[in-house]
Amino acid sequence: MKKMISIFSVGLLILLLPVALVAEENGGTDKYSLWIGSHYTDFTDYTKSVGEYNLGENEWLPELGFNYMSQRDNSLYTLYGHYYDKNNVWGKINTRVGDKFTGVFQYRSLVKQQGQDLLVNAEAREWLDPNPGGKILTHEITDPDADYNTHRQEFTGKMSLLVSHKNNVRLMAAHRTILKSGTEQKIASTHCFSCHLTSKTAKVDNQTHQFETGVDATVKKFDVGYRFAYRIFENNAPDASAYWDPAKHPVHGGAAGEFTSRVVYQDATLPFDTYPKTEKTSHKMKLKGDLGKGYFAGTVNYSKAKNKFTNLATTAWTGAANYTMSINPKTRLIAKIYGARLRSDDPWIDLPTWRDGATDGNFMDFDYRRYSSQDRIEGRISAEVITRLTPQMKLAFLAGYTKIDRYDYPLLGEGTETNKLTAQAKMYYRKGLKYTAFLKYRFESISDPFVSGFGLFEAAGYQNPLLDPLVPTSNWVFYLQREALRYQSVTSQPTQVHKFEWRSTYRPSNKYYVMLGVKGKLDKNNDLDSLDVKHLSIQPHLNFNLMPDPAWVVTAGYSYNFDKSRVPLAVALFDG
Amino acid sequence: MARDSVGDARHYGSMYTMADYKSKVHNIYFNANYAATEKMRLFGTVTYNMAEAALDEVLMPDVSDKLVNPVYDLGVDLTHTNFDFEEMSTYSDFDYKMLSFQLGLSYKITPTLTFTADGKYADLTDDAGYVFGNETGSFYVIRSGFKVDF
Repeated sequence: MKKMISIFSVGLLILLLPVALVAEENGGTDKYSLWIGSHYTDFTDYTKSVGEYNLGENEWLPELGFNYMSQRDNSLYTLYGHYYDKNNVWGKINTRVGDKFTGVFQYRSLVKQQGQDLLVNAEAREWLDPNPGGKILTHEITDPDADYNTHRQEFTGKMSLLVSHKNNVRLMAAHRTILKSGTEQKIASTHCFSCHLTSKTAKVDNQTHQFETGVDATVKKFDVGYRFAYRIFENNAPDASAYWDPAKHPVHGGAAGEFTSRVVYQDATLPFDTYPKTEKTSHKMKLKGDLGKGYFAGTVNYSKAKNKFTNLATTAWTGAANYTMSINPKTRLIAKIYGARLRSDDPWIDLPTWRDGATDGNFMDFDYRRYSSQDRIEGRISAEVITRLTPQMKLAFLAGYTKIDRYDYPLLGEGTETNKLTAQAKMYYRKGLKYTAFLKYRFESISDPFVSGFGLFEAAGYQNPLLDPLVPTSNWVFYLQREALRYQSVTSQPTQVHKFEWRSTYRPSNKYYVMLGVKGKLDKNNDLDSLDVKHLSIQPHLNFNLMPDPAWVVTAGYSYNFDKSRVPLAVALFDG
Repeated sequence: MARDSVGDARHYGSMYTMADYKSKVHNIYFNANYAATEKMRLFGTVTYNMAEAALDEVLMPDVSDKLVNPVYDLGVDLTHTNFDFEEMSTYSDFDYKMLSFQLGLSYKITPTLTFTADGKYADLTDDAGYVFGNETGSFYVIRSGFKVDF
């Protein structure tokens, strides 16, 4: 904390230095204002939703606000601040000295109330009548009176300094720090021989620090730039822990040895739902300027993120370029290309041997290497032609293609390729200042969208030869064997997408205007056999702005959002 | 057929159905600013938000006397089991209404001194009690003070 305060103090001093220089200049304008007051809050019944960002107490509190602005011929300095209560505070400093220096520093603090998941839906028993029995799911709230809330503080700062007019060499530095403290709910889930959820209160104490520095310059006719960024997240709160029950038969409580072999841990108190310690570094190069008959802008980015606790990392290379050129006085072309290569470490999952040493020969090693669905090469290319058809009307047509190659998901060398074709048309219409309209339609056709590596349905396991050679003649079906029975691809990703948007503004005079519009989206997947998976959303909106005379300003509006998702629901069928 | 004795665990595959999950959100707002005199300004805001979401009733196929996968159809009687899910659709019900009023004024007592006062009332009605229990509640905040310009 001391280190952070030192960094912020240095940052503030750098921002205040130009102010001292500005004060030496004669003339100009200085304005101050101070607001001193108080507020009273009163809550009734459940407070955490309606008063989500309040402290939640019935109390009088002092409140304070201030503004300061100093303006000279060549400089501007502003300072704003507002104190609502001890956890809701905001302040911002802006400095600009000609084209040589700009700086901004901001502090925001807020509190967020959080409810407690009562887990009431997590309660089930396989058989209720006549004698309750079979598998069971229960829950336990260990802290029913818990008052969860988190205090979030954010410090941001950004400075830019022109070091040379020759080539416009400019240095920049920025930082962002987020501190979170308080308490939160964590839920431990125990194994299936004694399925229950346990809710516990855990402390929150984590911080994110992000630093960025870079340089921009003009080289010949191009603007070039480089950015280096570093971000770290760490948790200082103790890990939450929970007790995992001894392994035993879910109904009669016996067969401890058999059930112990099916789980990785049991009869132990262990940490759960722990936070990682992550670190990310990135490098970014950018280039833009006139090229040929058009304008070019491009970036190349490399980043690496690592979980310092597990030593697992992901790396990403991305590159993007845009080129804009006029085809004729009324028509221009925008071409875009994007590429990305993402790789994640593939960890080896080392598990105890199931039923190790079993005399019936039915034991199994479940060790495996986990491949990530994030691993991919992705490429996108698009071209959009925008043409002014008449003085009132402009049309735009876009065609695009995207390809995603996931190398190793779900298995090494058995990745899938997704291809997407996009077509889009847009129309802009303007009739003087009175009427404007916008119309857009977009269509996407996707082949082989991402699907889960596991099937949604299960074939019947009872006496199914698919389960041989493990327990070939038994009525038993072990949980692990169910993987062999699964079938039916499932995904929420569509194979067809239709998007529609229309909005119009009518402004008969300067005294009022009306805006009306609607957005819609329909997507569906035709590759899932009998599953009719589709989504529909419609969002109409209407806004009025009325200024009948200089004393009145009235605005009003209505919006509606309708979403419908058609989804499959599947359950396994057991008897015993 | 009575259920098998304890320990004779059997697995008959899975069953499925399709269901719609729908959400509907309405938002209405009204803002007004009125400069009543050179010294006094009044302002007010009303917002109303109504949101509901629910899963259609889940109607699973009747599998009480047959297996799901006909390839392995052994004619097993599952009438002793309960594979109805009448209450599943209520698990994710969401239904709340939020009404909020705000009124305020500022009055310039002198060219450099202004009195301000405002208040806000918000009322939430929760008709479903999803996840966190019944979240119905209300709050108001009243605020006043003086602004000094230098």
